Amino acid sequence: MKRLSALALLCIVLVSCNSEPTLQKYFVEKTEEKNFVAVDVSPSMFNIDKSKLTVEEFQAIETLEKINILAFPVTDSTRAQYEAERANVDAIIKSKKYQELMHFGSGKDGASVSFVGEENSIDEFVLYAKSDKNGFAVVRIIGTDMNPTAVVTIMSVLKDTNMNLEQLKPLQDMFNKNL
Amino acid sequence: MKKIIVTLVFALMPALIFAQSAFDKYDGQDDVTSVIVNKKMFQMMGNVKNKESQQYLNLIKKLDNLKVFTTSSTRVSTDMKATAEKYIKSAGLEELMRINDKGQNVKIMVKSGAGATQVRELLMFIEGAGKENETVLLSLTGDFDLNDISMLTEKMNLPGGADLKKAAKNAK
Repeated sequence: MKRLSALALLCIVLVSCNSEPTLQKYFVEKTEEKNFVAVDVSPSMFNIDKSKLTVEEFQAIETLEKINILAFPVTDSTRAQYEAERANVDAIIKSKKYQELMHFGSGKDGASVSFVGEENSIDEFVLYAKSDKNGFAVVRIIGTDMNPTAVVTIMSVLKDTNMNLEQLKPLQDMFNKNL
Repeated sequence: MKKIIVTLVFALMPALIFAQSAFDKYDGQDDVTSVIVNKKMFQMMGNVKNKESQQYLNLIKKLDNLKVFTTSSTRVSTDMKATAEKYIKSAGLEELMRINDKGQNVKIMVKSGAGATQVRELLMFIEGAGKENETVLLSLTGDFDLNDISMLTEKMNLPGGADLKKAAKNAK
């Protein structure tokens, strides 16, 4: 808890030094707003049986702090707001802080993967997906000194766990609705 | 002094923009599907310790950029072809092979590096690909061996993998 509050303080300090908009700020601002769907996932939610993990897997999971998801499902009535918010996120993702790894898509649909930090000590992974039909979603995978191997390991561990999907339901609904 | 700097900046600007890539304008267009993979991604993938073969990881680390643009719009296709041809001339790419098969027209161009099979850039232009008669433009930069590339296209499921394999064999 102490560490967490120290981190929170650090974040506040860092953010206040930096006038550039960040996803951190954006998330805080929009989480409470209606039309947005926000989901926070902590590693404890994954129901990981720690006794079954290898040392490597355990260490990888330890570097992971939380996963934040912010989504905006688009409907006819929120179309105008969607366009504005999408432009906001586009601009944030393009800022220098977020180093892009790859992206694909066409025009208004697409997805991208970016990260914050150094190559071998990643602070944050950002997945961003948008679809003109469904809306957009930003996923922040936050940790301390994650390395690429750890991220891949985390992904494979998560795949094998029976994650508590209840909390992700609003997201699922969002993407099922229009399919 | 200020004037000189301003002039210099303006004079260098086109070069800088062009150096970035001749094809970046297709990124984000509505009727173009693009896939862009940056150097950082390749470096990271190369550092991931997993079951992939060492050969594959070594290759990955040598890559700089991968860009694939796909379109089924005739207007963009024509434009893409013109841009590609202009780029091939200006960047000094050599034709590695050309295949005409069942209405599919594949051209593979390379910029050679140190050895016979070392490549600095690989450009593939495919017309009439797939069912929807798509045009595909693929650009891969780095410093890699042509023989390794077919392995990559297979793993990443890129278009024209089989053709590249043939090209690598012929170049030997």
